[in-house]
Amino acid sequence: MTSDHVNMKWYRTGRMVVALWLTAVILGAFLLAIPRINILEHTARNLYFHVPMWFTLMAAVVVSAYHSVRFLGSGDRVRDVRAAEAARVGVVFGLMGLATGIFWSRFTWYQGTGIWWNWDPRQSMAAVELLIYGAYFVLRDSIDDPDRRGRIAAVYNVFAAATVPFLLYVLPRQLDSLHPGAEGNPAFSEITHPVMRLVFYPAVIGFIGLFWVLYTQRTRLRLLEEELEDRLHATKRTPQR
Amino acid sequence: MTLQEVQETAKSLTSQDASTAYDTIWASPTTQAPVGLETVFLAQDKIYVVLVVVLIIWFGILLFLFRTDRKIDRLERTLKNDIHDTDAPVAGAS
Repeated sequence: MTSDHVNMKWYRTGRMVVALWLTAVILGAFLLAIPRINILEHTARNLYFHVPMWFTLMAAVVVSAYHSVRFLGSGDRVRDVRAAEAARVGVVFGLMGLATGIFWSRFTWYQGTGIWWNWDPRQSMAAVELLIYGAYFVLRDSIDDPDRRGRIAAVYNVFAAATVPFLLYVLPRQLDSLHPGAEGNPAFSEITHPVMRLVFYPAVIGFIGLFWVLYTQRTRLRLLEEELEDRLHATKRTPQR
Repeated sequence: MTLQEVQETAKSLTSQDASTAYDTIWASPTTQAPVGLETVFLAQDKIYVVLVVVLIIWFGILLFLFRTDRKIDRLERTLKNDIHDTDAPVAGAS
């Protein structure tokens, strides 16, 4: 069943490419000299790690919503599994994005104040977004019948995905935030030095690649689990022993 | 830094710019020596902040891999426990 749904040749090649690619990104992130910026200093390098987490979450949300829509059209349980696992890995990246953001802000925005969290709009919205996806898993796990579970979870997932551009992009830009791109703050394109783009764009691609590897791995495992369950179910129904 | 000191610092910083509702606490260049965690993380042009950020991601990935591993363990157990039941030829098994 698994081999029908995952192209193993692609997966193994992709895994190797991602490993080498991200190694190069990490080397570039630490070894290339960057312009000195007040307050940020070396932490400007976090651009290569913290920001790609959120790009990856958004990519994961797109993948997840796509499979949910396809599930609603086809009723194919593989689509449901793919949607759930894409969302799960996406949330892991979101949590890492939130944690890295909290740590970064503590020694830049909140330097000298001892504050870890001050309800920055973008940070708060990101936390809300992760809660919305947390509810997706609770909802999905609470329904036993696979077809019903898939349908209800898929509908919720499409709504959840629809909130992402608003909570992570539109609203934070309308409110006063210390994040770049908010009202009064210059956005990425105006402040980012070419040498930083040289590492930043590959970092985004690399972490999305890492997402793809983890997501494919989880999908293989989940499909295997489902197949085993189906087989056990089939044998248990027949009288034996 | 005690809680009271933190509150006082926050208050003095916010009073400088009360025009915005959010995140008015900018870190102003301080002349006082850093205390607590900041003695570590403000040193060396804050490079250790980047180190911790990378470590957070590294541990996040590791934790996820360990959880995947646990699922594989469970799959193996199920397979091992139930293979004996299914090994015997069962008439009419689909």
